[in-house]
Amino acid sequence: MTDRITVEELAELMKKSAGVTVAPEELGLHNPGFDTLGVDSLGLLGIVGELENRYGTAMPPDAERSKTPRQFLDLVNSALMTGA
Amino acid sequence: MSEPHPRRAAITGIGVVAPNGSTTETFWKSAKEGICVLDRVTREGCEHLPLRVAGEVRDFDPSAAIEERFLVQTDRFTHFAMAAADLALDDARLGRPETDGSPFSVGVVTAAGSGGGEFGQRELQQLWGKGSRFVGPYQSIAWFYAASTGQISIRRGFKGPCSVVASDEAGGLDALAHAARAVRRGTDVIVTGSTEAPLAPYSVVCQLGYAELSTEADPARAYRPFTSAACGFVPAEGGAMFVVEDEGTALARGARVQALLAGHAATFTGASRWEQSREGLAHAVRGALAEAGCAPEEIDVVFADALGVPEADRAEALAIADALGRHGTRVPVTAPKTGIGRGYGAAAVLDTAAAVLAMEHGLIPPTPNVYDVCHELDLVTGRARLAELRTALVLSRGLMGSNSALVLRHGATGASS
Repeated sequence: MTDRITVEELAELMKKSAGVTVAPEELGLHNPGFDTLGVDSLGLLGIVGELENRYGTAMPPDAERSKTPRQFLDLVNSALMTGA
Repeated sequence: MSEPHPRRAAITGIGVVAPNGSTTETFWKSAKEGICVLDRVTREGCEHLPLRVAGEVRDFDPSAAIEERFLVQTDRFTHFAMAAADLALDDARLGRPETDGSPFSVGVVTAAGSGGGEFGQRELQQLWGKGSRFVGPYQSIAWFYAASTGQISIRRGFKGPCSVVASDEAGGLDALAHAARAVRRGTDVIVTGSTEAPLAPYSVVCQLGYAELSTEADPARAYRPFTSAACGFVPAEGGAMFVVEDEGTALARGARVQALLAGHAATFTGASRWEQSREGLAHAVRGALAEAGCAPEEIDVVFADALGVPEADRAEALAIADALGRHGTRVPVTAPKTGIGRGYGAAAVLDTAAAVLAMEHGLIPPTPNVYDVCHELDLVTGRARLAELRTALVLSRGLMGSNSALVLRHGATGASS
């Protein structure tokens, strides 16, 4: 499991863990803030937990403090690359 | 502070999600017709437990009422609360345009007997089945009995005084009283009430330890308070929320005052000490009458606690007589909850909704499945009774020993006095 986490996977996790439905293209194009999207801090924590369980590796502590999906993806993907 | 009149707490909106209807209108229609909707327990994982009959809310679609991002982080009892709050706010004609301008003038007060049992069970199964890393973060808030107050305020943008009353089943009435006090102290609007969702496997198993729980399998026989066949109470889910606001502020914005929260008092007499509840309940009634400035003879109808345990029923009948004197044996008493079950903290809140609607329609809903009353009470059975109702008394007791009484005045009567 060394694949990068994509906007598609993030969108799927946002729906599953935080109940927020958003098109992946929307995340890639406009990079709206998690607060604008309606993902609160516990929702983001749930997404981090789900990724850690899926990839079997710890995510950086700052991941759950990310303000935007792009910032989040940069952090978790760099951690996955390092881990691999 | 130069108000010409003291502030009075008025009910201007009612929202009900109950076993007999997921709107206030369907709830009232079913209650006044004396329809019993008690039925075999069908909730997943509960079918084979010794609790056979309950009041389930079956026509409620959470996803139609609540946004998904609020659904994933909340338990069923909070789904009921958010939906009932919406109905109450709609009834009071308080939408976002009206409340967004002054968010600090709107608060929330709820009561819950337990909390989010279904959500909690799911996450605890994750914990013991897969490990702590598989417990979702929303467990931290969803199963907490305070969840509904928080979620209603967040979802509707209310920033006024918010609180939760934890006082057993009578907490439902205590929450309304707390809301009334907040309004009298200066908050314009409080959204208040109680909802419960005790029909999930973990929650049901917890209740099996209550000696007062009815495990009778026949829905028509399972909950018959005040009769010699009384064999305990039947639990229910759902509840009601109200909009309580300062009467003057409500009238100024053209709102309809449905009733006034005129008086309340609460006492404590110990868990399952039903004989002692007589004194506690009578004392609560006297306190509520005193606060309302109401003579016993002014009470036009009593909505009874109606536990369905002979000793407790006797104590309640005697408490009514103790507190109301001779009027206690003449005043019409009713317990529409025998048709829908007893929703813990939500039970007396649903009775309050029924009492306000009864005063509005001049009609006392009956007590389904109850025929031969073995106490000195004028219990309304069979069919609804026409009556001019200006003042109603709602009674509530909890299995853990709380007793509470609430006096309601009809809106039209209150406004002219």
